[in-house]
Formats: sequence, C-alpha cells, structure tokens
Amino acid sequence: MLASYLTMAAILFCIGLYGAFVKRNAVVVLLSIELMLNSVNLNLVAFSKYGAVPSLTGQVFALFTIAVAAAEAAVGVAVLIALFRARGTVKADEFDELRR
Amino acid sequence: MAYERTLQAMTWADAGHMAPELILIAMMAVLIMLDLLLPRRVDRSLIGWLSLASLLGSFVSVVWRIQHQADQSLASEALGLLNDNYRIDDFGAMFKLLLLTAAALIVLWSLGAMKQGSSGQLVHQGEYYYLMLPATAGAMLMTSTGDLITLYTGLELLSISTYVLVGLRARRALTAQAASSEEKVSAKPAEAAFKYVVTGGISSAFILFGMSYLYGLTGSTHVGEIGSSLPQAVESFRGLIYLAFFFMAAGFGIKIAAAPFHAWAPDVYEGAPTPVSAFLAVVSKTAAAVALFRLFYNVVFPESLSNGSTIGHDLFRAVLAVAACAMIVGTLSALRQHNMKRLLALSGVANAGYLIAPIGLSFYGVHSNNAAELFFYAAAYLCMNIGAFAVLSIVAGSRRDADGSVQLRSFEGLYHRAPWTAGAMIIFVLSLAGLPISGGFFGKLFVMMGAASSHAYWLVAIMAGTSVISYYVYFGIVRQMFMRSSGDEPVHVPAASGIVVWLCAAATLVLGVYPNGLLHWFEHVFSVVGDLLILR
Repeated sequence: MLASYLTMAAILFCIGLYGAFVKRNAVVVLLSIELMLNSVNLNLVAFSKYGAVPSLTGQVFALFTIAVAAAEAAVGVAVLIALFRARGTVKADEFDELRR
Repeated sequence: MAYERTLQAMTWADAGHMAPELILIAMMAVLIMLDLLLPRRVDRSLIGWLSLASLLGSFVSVVWRIQHQADQSLASEALGLLNDNYRIDDFGAMFKLLLLTAAALIVLWSLGAMKQGSSGQLVHQGEYYYLMLPATAGAMLMTSTGDLITLYTGLELLSISTYVLVGLRARRALTAQAASSEEKVSAKPAEAAFKYVVTGGISSAFILFGMSYLYGLTGSTHVGEIGSSLPQAVESFRGLIYLAFFFMAAGFGIKIAAAPFHAWAPDVYEGAPTPVSAFLAVVSKTAAAVALFRLFYNVVFPESLSNGSTIGHDLFRAVLAVAACAMIVGTLSALRQHNMKRLLALSGVANAGYLIAPIGLSFYGVHSNNAAELFFYAAAYLCMNIGAFAVLSIVAGSRRDADGSVQLRSFEGLYHRAPWTAGAMIIFVLSLAGLPISGGFFGKLFVMMGAASSHAYWLVAIMAGTSVISYYVYFGIVRQMFMRSSGDEPVHVPAASGIVVWLCAAATLVLGVYPNGLLHWFEHVFSVVGDLLILR
C-alpha cells in the first residue's frame, strides 16, 4: 500500500521538476513547483498512516507545508505580475535581461 | 520506539526565552501599521531607524541571555522549548549574534544608500525596512531548530521575505518611464525576483522531499529522535535514506549557492538592490550553513560513530566534494567576470565552499573545533562581504549614467576620487583574497588547518590553489583603483554608508590582528555536547 503512494508521489515530483525546467510559460513553471510541493504532502500523509512508525506528525507537517506553499505561490504570482507589467510577456525564455 | 508527543502551550517563560525573535516579529507588525498610518510626506527612513533599533534590541537580548547563563554557571545547559521544537542554546545564540550584526549593518548602510543618487532609491522604502525583520527572524529560527518542521518554517520565512526584497525596484525605473515611454522599463529586479522564487521553490521542494522520507523511515521529525533511530532504519532502508539525504543536501546546496547549484546567484545578486544582495550573500548563506551543521551533526553523527557505518562518512564526504567544487567553480568563473555584482556573487560561491567545509570535516581524532572554524569564517565573511558590497553601492551611487550596473572599470581611479573608501576597499580585497592582517586570512587558515588535521589533504591543496588563482581576480580591482586615473569628480560618501564601511574594515583588521579574541570567546561559551547535540 505504502509503495504505491510513494511511487505516485515520486512520479508527481518528477513531472513537477520536468515542468519547472522545461516549460516556457512562467505560470506553468509556478504550477510545476506547486506540483512538487504537493507530491511531498502525499508522501507525508502516506507515511503518517502506513509508515514504519505511524504518527500524526506527518499530517501536521503536511498542514504546515500547505500553508507555506500558499504563501510562496502568492509571492510568486505577485512577482510574475510585476515582471509581466515591465516586460509584457510571461514567456520564461524571454526573461534574459540579466544574462547580458 | 513510538513517542507520543504531547502538545505544549507556549508559556510566558518560553516567550522570555524567545524574546530575540519575538521582538523582531512584533516590531514588524508595528512598523507595517506605522507605514500605513504615516502620511506620505513623512520620510520613510524613520521606519529604517526603528527597524535598526529593533535589531539592536534583539541583539542586546541575545547577549543578555548568554551573560545570564554564564553568570549562573549554566553554561552547558540548553533549553528545549515547545516540546523541544525550538532549542535555546549557545550554539544558536552565537550565530544569532552574527546574523543580527549583519542585518543591522545592512539596514544602517541602506539608510545612507537610499539618500544617495537615484540608483539606490527604492520606490517602497517602508516595505524594504520592515521586511528585513522577518527575514532576519527566519534566519534566527533556522539556527536554533530542534525539529524539521521548525527548520522548514524558518527557512521559508527567510526565503519568502527575501523573494519580495529582491523584487523591490529602484525609483529610476519610474523616471525612465516618464522620460521616454518608448524605452523599456528596467525589469531587472522583477526578473531577478522571479528567478529567485523559482529556484527557491525548487530547493524547498527538494529539502521537503528529503525530509518526508526521513520522517517516514524514522517516524519522527525531531532531529534528536531521528538521530537515535537512524541506525535501525539504515539496516532496512539503506537506499531510501541515501535518497533522503541526497535530496536535502541538494536543496541546502541551492540555498547556500554552493557550486553545482549556484547558477541562480549571479543573476539574482545583479538584479536585486545592492543591500539585498549583501543580505542574501551573508545572512541567507550563513543561516543555511548553520542549519545544515546542526542537522547533520544531530542526525548523521551518532550513526557515523557506530562500527561499519558508511552513510555518515559518505554524507560528510559528499559535503566536502560540494565544498571543493564550489571553491573551484566560483574562483574560475570569477576570472572572466567584469560586472562587479556578479563577481562578488561568484566570490560568494567560492566562500560558500569554505563555509560548508567545516561541516564535512567531522570529528576525526584531534579535530574537534569545526564549529569554531565555521563561526570564525562566518564572522570574517560577514565583515568583508558587507564592506565590499557597501563600497560597491557608494561607487554605483556616484555614477551619472542611469544604467545602474557597476562594472569593474567603474572602480577606475577610485583612489583619486575617494581615497579613504579606496583604502577600506583594499582591506576587504586583502581579506577576500585571504592575505595576512585580515580576518579572511585567519578564517581560511583555520579551515585549512582543520582540513589538514582530519587528513583531508586534497581539500587543503584545492583551497591553496583556488586562493592563489583568486589573487588575480581581486587584484584586478586594486589595479583599477590605483593604477588608473580618471577625470571624474570626487565620489560623495553618505555618512551612514561610510560608517558601515569603516566598521567592517576595522572589524576585518581586528580579526586579522587578534583572531584569538573571538575564537576564545566562542570556545569559552560553546560546548559540543551541551549546545550542539540534542540527545533524546
């Protein structure tokens, strides 16, 4: 039972990582990061039920992660809006002003 | 070994022990309200002075606690608050002093830099000053965590505050827009912030993924309990434990900006306001290194003592490999860099190697003072880096062109334009290069001696080699300052920036002439068993 949850979480994590590196749309990049963080939540909740030593701590940790990830997403989208106003695009590969 | 953990309410005594952090958080709330209520015409440097005062107040309360413990001869007693989630001990307290000093210096310097020229002026000054407080509080939380959840919360408090700080734009962006609507507004701060959010988010996800496995395999998030149940878990889940540590090390590597994970640093430092670059270079890096130090020594060290252990040794070796890689890559890529902020970012990558090297040099034989090495190097790094960034912002503020980027040639003839500032810069350059009569020299020397005494001679060779190569980088700056003459008018040095530059220069010299003072104080206060290790 545990193995299937862990595999699912690992697959989600990898999809998120792939998206964060490859996707050209900056909004999708932020979404991919959320996916990575959510795969961690799945891990934590699965471990708290079926882990070697089941305990509630995992669910508490997942709650913390959800709250912090929401804050992070809010800041990320706000920064993206500022960037969109300055550049007029959300294509990640056009954000190249700093590379000279 | 199932621990049933009980919820513990926070008492007034706990609040007293957490006073340094609570002062910062409470003052942030007060300053947010003040910023909203004050009319627009009131100068926002008032908020800057108040946040400086709260940083100093927090500093005093940390010092008071260290003294109080020493007076009552409780030197080896560490407190665990909130069911041991939060550790109040001298290891954390000493590093908190460093972090608070760094933050206070940066706020003082910003008070000068905001007055100078157009390039340093931020549009949202109030936000800038009060966001420094939660960022510092997050860094302080990281130094005294006893639990993975607390560690993660502190890390994110630091990160999210700095995401916003990086994205604050300078006033010149607005005037440029007003002057010619055709011309594109500089998107550099926002672009830097976006890159930082994305890399920071990925690194948090890596750290969390590693933490989730560590929790699942040992059944606890408390670092002491993880440490004591790790040897058991290693027997049955060796591969997964390696995976967990690999993910966590990679995530912290990104936060510290050590070599294979440093690609974001030059971009972000270049786009961010200069004081924020210095904050990232000093406070974030030190806090992450300290958190990693405490985590590794509590989680892995007990396992590495047992016979036939491999995981502890492999992990320490991996940290050393990252350190070596950071030194080599940071130094070599700084060779071709002409943009000063990117150059300092890459020099910070090389310095990150020195910061994490003491973590990897675990206790072999006679080598027992790696915490002192880390502390001394962090102190020297603080002085020289904040000083160098402050000189850079003084030079940037004196320039007429609105581009705002500081190239190596902007230092041309600085000796003729601002002799005293150039003199201070010499001290910082000596310290960065690791030459004598500077704090950087002894910092590097102590780390090298530590490496030699734990028989990591290859690391000593890499340190010596990269130091020699880095002379070329740093003396390029000296050559620009002294050998070239330039017709520009004298540089105006704002009083607050000047004070910060000279405080840093004086501290660098003191550390270079009399390193034993700081070192003995640290060793007097700190004990490995009482302060660092969390035994359950």
